[in-house]
Amino acid sequence: MDDSAESAKAAGRAPTQGPPPALEIRGLVFAYPDGTRVLEGIDLVIRQGESVAVIGPNGAGKSTLLLHLNGILRGSGSVTVFGLPVEPKNLREVRRRVGVVFQDPEDQLFLTSVAQDVAFGPSNMGLDRDDIAERVAGALAAVGMEGSGERSSHHLSFGQKKRIAVATVLSMRPDVLVLDEPTSNLDPKSRRRLIDILSGLPVTKIVVTHDMTVAYELCERTVILDQGRIVADGLTE
Amino acid sequence: MIHAEIAGGAVSTPVHRLDARAKILGLIGFVVIVVTTPPEAVWAFVLYAVVLAFVAGLARLSPVTLAKRALVVVPFVIMVAVFLPFFHQDGDPVFSLGGARVTDQGLLVLWNVLAKALLGVLSMVVLGLTTTFSELVTGFERLHTPKVLVLTVSFMHRYGYLFLEESRRMQRAMASRDFRARWLGNVPTLGRMLGSLFLRSYSRGERVYVAMVSRGYEGSIRLEPDGAFGWTEALFVGSVLGTALAVRVATAWSA
Repeated sequence: MDDSAESAKAAGRAPTQGPPPALEIRGLVFAYPDGTRVLEGIDLVIRQGESVAVIGPNGAGKSTLLLHLNGILRGSGSVTVFGLPVEPKNLREVRRRVGVVFQDPEDQLFLTSVAQDVAFGPSNMGLDRDDIAERVAGALAAVGMEGSGERSSHHLSFGQKKRIAVATVLSMRPDVLVLDEPTSNLDPKSRRRLIDILSGLPVTKIVVTHDMTVAYELCERTVILDQGRIVADGLTE
Repeated sequence: MIHAEIAGGAVSTPVHRLDARAKILGLIGFVVIVVTTPPEAVWAFVLYAVVLAFVAGLARLSPVTLAKRALVVVPFVIMVAVFLPFFHQDGDPVFSLGGARVTDQGLLVLWNVLAKALLGVLSMVVLGLTTTFSELVTGFERLHTPKVLVLTVSFMHRYGYLFLEESRRMQRAMASRDFRARWLGNVPTLGRMLGSLFLRSYSRGERVYVAMVSRGYEGSIRLEPDGAFGWTEALFVGSVLGTALAVRVATAWSA
């Protein structure tokens, strides 16, 4: 669609030459209203097409960081997505470009049929019926769940729910896929299957995980977060 | 798993395949007509029952299935209705029970409530057995039911089961630590359990909302419509409502 125009515009605004980074975070600080400081100054640049694992102990601020990437939470400092600052007037575009798959698929699948859930994003984007139907079919095929559109998500296995949750975001054709603990609670077979599916997707990926196999197989780069700070950043090894 | 799908997925009859809107309009309209019929016209209720039996037959629903489903509601109706004659004392006494008198007018009220409730419940059972929940929700939405209502019902259906499963897990966890529900002594524990279920549902609600907003939710949901209101649908609504209306008009003439 207007992607090329959009990125050209964004590139013009970025200070450096070449395509803008998929994600640029500068001095991000966030505290919850009760004063608990969760992020203590995060600086992170992720290039287009990169796959980055974010690991760290419980309570390190991983999930909080993730909620900043599409403007659900807003701390001080700056977050830019493809050169587009994450601020109220850009939220619509930011949320289309950054697809977040949450940890518990039960939270992501809230409608009465799989197809409705996968169509939710595209229909919020104001697409027409045929376009939506095509995207739903495409997203379901991408996660190997063709033909289950009419099923109710309540009847799916946990592994299938996880894959449908990915499809609900893929149908929006995001440029960045953000995954919170994609393999938690999955049996080895479903986990293998999900990793294979994810590694086949040609988008920038940010994966919050405790699963070292995921970090190793899916991401060339790993960022370690501890107590609201990035304490290590380098190749996954 | 607690949940059994409302409609059996395997069966597919012309009635099952109808657009949900046709079934909602046809059957709810049918109930409205039935309810407005004067109870003296007993023959009219027989004809209504025939219409409903015809629809159920088309949908290949066995009388046993219908009766089983209706049993969920009918006992309550009977329990309430059975006392009605004692409160309607006008008319000629038919018999007396101890000191209480039962009159013909009173019996007519009983018949009125029972016949209408039974037909109403059976109509909704037919609707429920031939339409999946998701079809029902989209059907109501496309009939311009206020969205808030449609969504509330849809979310209740989706998360009600999760809520039940959560409370079962909690009960199991308590039972594993030798909790025995005794009368009164355990009221505080049950209270805390309810409180914690409330908090869990509350934070679930918050997470669902975040997941919605992340996908561009801005306050309105467009459920994807499928299926069309074609000739078959028009024929269904027309024949069900047409027949019922004809019977209803005839009762007015005969009165």
